[in-house]
Amino acid sequence: MADTRRPETRPAGPRPTPVPRRRFPADRAASLAGRLLAALVFLFLVAPLVVLVVSSFNPAASVAFPPHGFSTRWYEQVLGSRDWLVSFQLSGLLVLLVVPTVAVIGTLAAYGLARGSFPGRGALHALALSPLMAPEIITALGLLYYFQGIGLIDSVPALWLAHSLIALPYAVRAVMVSAAGLDPALERAAASLGASDVRVLLTVTLPLLRPGILAGALLAAVTSLGEVAVTALVAGAHTTTVPLRVFSSAQFELDPSVAAVSSLLMLASVVVMVVADRFAKISEVL
Amino acid sequence: MAHIPTAGRRARWRGAVYTVPLLVFLLALFVAPLVRLLQLSLRPVDGNNAALPGYTGHQYVRVLTEPFFYEALVRTIVTAALVTVLCVVLAYPAAYALARRRPGLVRTLLFVVVLSPLLTSVVVRSYGWVVLLGANGPVNRTLVGIGVLDQPAHLLTSYSAVVVSVTHVLLPFAIVPLTTALGGLDRDVLRASRILGAGPVRTFARVTVPLSLPGALSGALVVFALAMGIYITPLLVGGANQPLAGIRVYDQISTVFDFPVAAALSFVLLLITVLCTTGLGAAFRTWERRLHG
Repeated sequence: MADTRRPETRPAGPRPTPVPRRRFPADRAASLAGRLLAALVFLFLVAPLVVLVVSSFNPAASVAFPPHGFSTRWYEQVLGSRDWLVSFQLSGLLVLLVVPTVAVIGTLAAYGLARGSFPGRGALHALALSPLMAPEIITALGLLYYFQGIGLIDSVPALWLAHSLIALPYAVRAVMVSAAGLDPALERAAASLGASDVRVLLTVTLPLLRPGILAGALLAAVTSLGEVAVTALVAGAHTTTVPLRVFSSAQFELDPSVAAVSSLLMLASVVVMVVADRFAKISEVL
Repeated sequence: MAHIPTAGRRARWRGAVYTVPLLVFLLALFVAPLVRLLQLSLRPVDGNNAALPGYTGHQYVRVLTEPFFYEALVRTIVTAALVTVLCVVLAYPAAYALARRRPGLVRTLLFVVVLSPLLTSVVVRSYGWVVLLGANGPVNRTLVGIGVLDQPAHLLTSYSAVVVSVTHVLLPFAIVPLTTALGGLDRDVLRASRILGAGPVRTFARVTVPLSLPGALSGALVVFALAMGIYITPLLVGGANQPLAGIRVYDQISTVFDFPVAAALSFVLLLITVLCTTGLGAAFRTWERRLHG
């Protein structure tokens, strides 16, 4: 930042623009005001999450902020509770089912949509993104009534299919960003040098799509980990996912153990994100 | 010569083959449920709200004539519009700061902050607001502490708490596309505006905003569509009595068990959402065309 403000301290050399970047005193004030506003918005974004994490370490039996001490008793209580452990297992299982489903269907579709110019392509693209834009309550109600009709309510397959449906648009969009930047000449070059279709796919196409696929898989994982709107209607007593249990607890009582679970859930999402970011520039594709 | 267009056509249709799994999946799990739901919304009901065979427009008449439903629809549209405006306004400073940062640790951290609501469950975020706005929460303590209030106010279950928390939940959807748009902005254009005598505020209003409009628009449309159908967050923060369409639908399913009227209400909600987003998109495009000549 210092070098944009004081260009005279830059090392000598050919400079594209001889005019100093900031000549106007008003700019400094405006920039300061802009940064202050931005800081306030960032504070607004993290405030509820920070409060939640901090209050989960509160030793008292009520949720209070600032806390009156430090204790991990709520974490111990949660990790020792059978109900919560069953929910954790179910949420983990769903992530393992949803991520491959969404990655395969989403990658194939995004590649086909980015590459093909078949009739109906635009309509299919709109359809692929429509679960994201439809009001969540109508998707939820539609699936509830549909699954009731075929006897799937309160089952793992129902949640697997529902979560995959909600996560698909994110994955399609992420892979399409990568697929749009894919140069078809590279695939043609590989094919003309004698590689078979499968080999082109495995050694050229998929590696080039990797950032998008990883971003899509990441979004699918966090979507499944956090989904409530549809889950609340489709799940039942035997399929209570972690966020659903948080939802039903938070609706009636404010117990710090809910804050502890929420913090753990958040930690899981952040870990997934950080790990994925090491393999691909996720933020570029979102 | 003859086989080249054939090969081209085959390559084109090969693209279509890749999309078959998606098409099958969406037809089975998105289109089919909605068609069944549409059918259900046209069914008459008996005394116990169970659907009967036959077709009637009665549920739609109820939705459009009973204040319990149509007032919720109006309130939902107003709330969604308010949330959209708040999101776009709040997104500008954050997206601007993000777009101007060079890649590095600070930028990555800010990105994590922006995406943190996207990466955490709606429930977690809403629950954070429940804690923040609760009777013992920091907001109430501060207000009492500095003497604005005599005693803690009921911030929860109030409409403003719903607006604040829904705005928070949807803000990332406005920031992300806007950051992309602002990042693609040519800085020389901004400097040209400054050198030609426009102040920073005028440069922002006359150059930055118009040039980043497509990004702001695509964010606004997503935020509006999501705000129309959101129900978990307002339910947690505002309680089941908030007059919002999503909550009314949930209420009809979970307490009254009147599925046909819930289906009719959600289809009216879907129709309004589609009409508003299409209309908004068309209006923005016209404005943009006039702006850029």
